[in-house]
Amino acid sequence: MSGDPVSVDPDVLARARARVLGAPSIPVSAPVPAGLTAASDDERVWLLPAWPDGATPAVLEDYQTAPMPLDRPGMTRRVLAAALRCCWTRLDDAPWPGETATVAAVLEVYAGMTRGDAELARRWATGELRRLADTGWLLLDEEAGTLRPGPRVAMWADDSLASLRDLLRRLPQPEPLAEPEPEPPAEPEHLAEPEHLAEPEAEPLAEEAGAGE
Amino acid sequence: MIRFHLRALVAVPWFAVSATPEQESGDAPSLDDVLVGEAVLGVYRQMFAALARDGGAVVDDPELVDVAETLLAAFADAGEDGLGREQMRYVCRRYPAEVFENRLRVLKSLGAIREVFPKPNQLRYRASFTSVVGLMFVRRMMLDGGQSEMHRLLALEQLNVADPRMTPDQARAGAEGLARAFRLWSVELLTLTNGTIEELREQAPKLWGTEEILIRAERLHGAILRRWPQLDRTCTELRAAIYAYGDASRRAAARLSDSAGTTRNLTLLPPETWRTFARTATRDDLAAVLDGFVFDAAAPWHEPAAVVTAVEDGPRTTPPRPAPPRPSMPDHGLSDETGGDATALERLREIAEQVLRGRDRVAVEEVLDRDWVAGRRMLADLSSVHLHPELPYRLVWSDGLAVRPDGSPTWVSPGVFERTGP
Repeated sequence: MSGDPVSVDPDVLARARARVLGAPSIPVSAPVPAGLTAASDDERVWLLPAWPDGATPAVLEDYQTAPMPLDRPGMTRRVLAAALRCCWTRLDDAPWPGETATVAAVLEVYAGMTRGDAELARRWATGELRRLADTGWLLLDEEAGTLRPGPRVAMWADDSLASLRDLLRRLPQPEPLAEPEPEPPAEPEHLAEPEHLAEPEAEPLAEEAGAGE
Repeated sequence: MIRFHLRALVAVPWFAVSATPEQESGDAPSLDDVLVGEAVLGVYRQMFAALARDGGAVVDDPELVDVAETLLAAFADAGEDGLGREQMRYVCRRYPAEVFENRLRVLKSLGAIREVFPKPNQLRYRASFTSVVGLMFVRRMMLDGGQSEMHRLLALEQLNVADPRMTPDQARAGAEGLARAFRLWSVELLTLTNGTIEELREQAPKLWGTEEILIRAERLHGAILRRWPQLDRTCTELRAAIYAYGDASRRAAARLSDSAGTTRNLTLLPPETWRTFARTATRDDLAAVLDGFVFDAAAPWHEPAAVVTAVEDGPRTTPPRPAPPRPSMPDHGLSDETGGDATALERLREIAEQVLRGRDRVAVEEVLDRDWVAGRRMLADLSSVHLHPELPYRLVWSDGLAVRPDGSPTWVSPGVFERTGP
């Protein structure tokens, strides 16, 4: 009863695979099976669930249905915010595919955001980074010590991102990467302006960042 | 025509009364069957509550009505001869014997089925015409509820009002009956509006066609009032009842659409209906609903708004404190000017030399002997010179007070401004 290979539609098989694996990736050249959303960078395509009518799992709250339980949702989301602060540098663009950042920079940003022992915070955050990578929210390369946004952030609706952009502008800045920045003129000018607008909140945070470093 | 309905109502109780049959057939009824049966029974109980002797006297199984209907149909086919007892039993062979016996006894005792001739040991029976009409009425009520019956009543009453044989008393009775019905209806809707939303959703059909009913009722009211102006008091009652009904149904509809807006659940079907669909649909029907969909493996979802909330609620390095007040003008921080400014020092020395004019000391009243506006400025400058640690001048005041009512400062203490050093 190992199954007749002829009778299985490859489309169905791919969908079943995607269902079991969560958010698997396939090469860009492979066909995307029907009924799935594809999030692609230049090399690979991640297969994600497609939801009707532009809904997201946030709609569960409207139906008073419990979402998937998380151990420490607050901490997980703060780590995600810290990671996005480092990887989503051009905030006017979409978060996906984002850019590569070092894990150390993310941990630094996270330690600057929270109170208490910075070393402990880094250790907690490392665990959360792994959990986020397991569920497709980050792409973590532990050997190289780098990470990128995961394919799931591609499913955020663009009109829900405004508050997140505002938040990320207020977060402490990561240390500049060792590699040269791709376009130095574009970045500072669009970062400088909103910070000037949000001056009362931005200033204490900037002080914290200075103290943390 | 209303009277016709009332007669029909009086004629029906034969099937509204029964003894309880213990009918435990092979397949156990499911919860859904019980619910459906309960709903049907609810209609019966409501309709005949006014006629039943006590609660237990109403049918407690919808099937009992089917027995009565089968019997009546058989009587209609049988013609003038009627049916014998065995024939009746044969017609109702689908039902258990004790159920049949029960129904027959109740129907006979209430006069829906009687002997062809009223004499003892009569074997042939006939059915009453009124009962069939009553049953038709009941079936219609079950099919589309009291709502459409209200439509019919309004239409019939409209015809009655146009009828030349109609008397004012009959019109008044009709209007009062309608007003009472509308009152009760609006009370029921109000209760629903204030009750749980699930119940309101279940009873939503009561809100259908409200506008049309209101229009018809107002037209009828106008017709009555035009033909019999002396009925204005009754018509006022009717009008108030109609408006109350309109308000109540609008409010219930508003609540319903409000809740539909928040839950995005625009289907007003009760859950039982969905469950019945799920049970009765074919496998293909069920599969078609999910055609083209793949269920994702369970994964946490982080909405952008949730990320923002988490960061803002998270522990902070410093306790949140109110922002310090800031000027609306650009602020360049502390001024670089400190007290040791050479120009200010020079200015003061110049003033002191001007006052002394080469002398070593000069009386203060002499210096102030001018108009007070200029004098007080001079006094302030002299005090600054006196207080400045680097300038070799001082002000020395002595006791005494010279009052000069006509002078520019009206009083002055004698004092000198003198040079202390080189």
